[in-house]
Amino acid sequence: MIEPSLALYGDAFERVDGLIQELLDTTGVRYGLLVDRKGFVLSHKEALWAPRPPALDSVATLVASNAAATAALANMLGERTFSEQIHQGENGTLYVESVGTDSLLTLIFDASVPLGKVKVYAKKTIGQIASILDELKDIPPVQLGEDFSAGATSLLDDLLG
Amino acid sequence: MSTINFAAREINCKIVYYGPGMSGKTTNLKHVFSKVPGHLRGEMVSLATEDERTLFFDFLPLDLGTVQGFKTRFHLYTVPGQVFYNASRKLILRGVDGIVFVADSAPNRLRANAESMRNLRENLLEHGIDVRDVPIVLQVNKRDLPDALPLDMIRAVVDPKKELMIFEAVSDKGVGVFETLKTVSRLVLERLSQNK
Repeated sequence: MIEPSLALYGDAFERVDGLIQELLDTTGVRYGLLVDRKGFVLSHKEALWAPRPPALDSVATLVASNAAATAALANMLGERTFSEQIHQGENGTLYVESVGTDSLLTLIFDASVPLGKVKVYAKKTIGQIASILDELKDIPPVQLGEDFSAGATSLLDDLLG
Repeated sequence: MSTINFAAREINCKIVYYGPGMSGKTTNLKHVFSKVPGHLRGEMVSLATEDERTLFFDFLPLDLGTVQGFKTRFHLYTVPGQVFYNASRKLILRGVDGIVFVADSAPNRLRANAESMRNLRENLLEHGIDVRDVPIVLQVNKRDLPDALPLDMIRAVVDPKKELMIFEAVSDKGVGVFETLKTVSRLVLERLSQNK
């Protein structure tokens, strides 16, 4: 195994999804993503009124890379980590905070939403999500089998010739 | 190991193109981007300097399709090749599932090839990964150069034990690009099936 991965199973996934939705409803945040440290989206919710979401793969990759770069900076400055990142623009804000050691909660919202309110509610949600992710740590590894490899290789042939 | 999201029925794998500066890593990705149908690829993100040198990384998501109910996706990254961007290279290697090492055929880049491979081994070790634990494919690029070094000479400095699968390429013309990607992807999928 190269690096442990997060695996969100049915009930846990539903609960994480529900918490992010609740956070969106309470705060007026437009998009909420749970991203793992490798840059993959684990869960995504958008407010009903939100426009078409941005390219989520790209957002997740850049958020995770930015968090990694920020952590490296923190180490250079003698800090263990900088746990949150805030990027404020003219019309919107991107807020990222660590959830345990393996993932990042990413929130995107308009200038009309107070940052302080988002931070207060986000911290509560992060605590709840972190507990769920902790429960998942003992889950046995996934068995995909040879059939998966054969099926995927056949799709590779279709895609890459 | 790849990220498997059971609830969303998604499997994501990370493939990194590594190698010395200007060896053609970004060109590989650009070719893939230009040839893969739009509905199977996402946006290509390039964090580059003004003279188009990769500053942090290039990124391209590719959808393979659905296998056994799982949407399977590859995330392709390049690292910056210039020696002084090592911190960025180390960050990009986090969680890597497969590597394409892109070597340069130019005679004056032989030493850079060797140093980049040594740097890859060191950076993997810093992540606690032995170089034998991750699928690596060697692509020897720019084979159309009139003074391109013999393949054996390049291999002798980057893969002296001849352990890696090797592909000759001319990435700006698309030669060898898909063959290389297909092979590393297949190796990653095999390991995923074996749950390594």
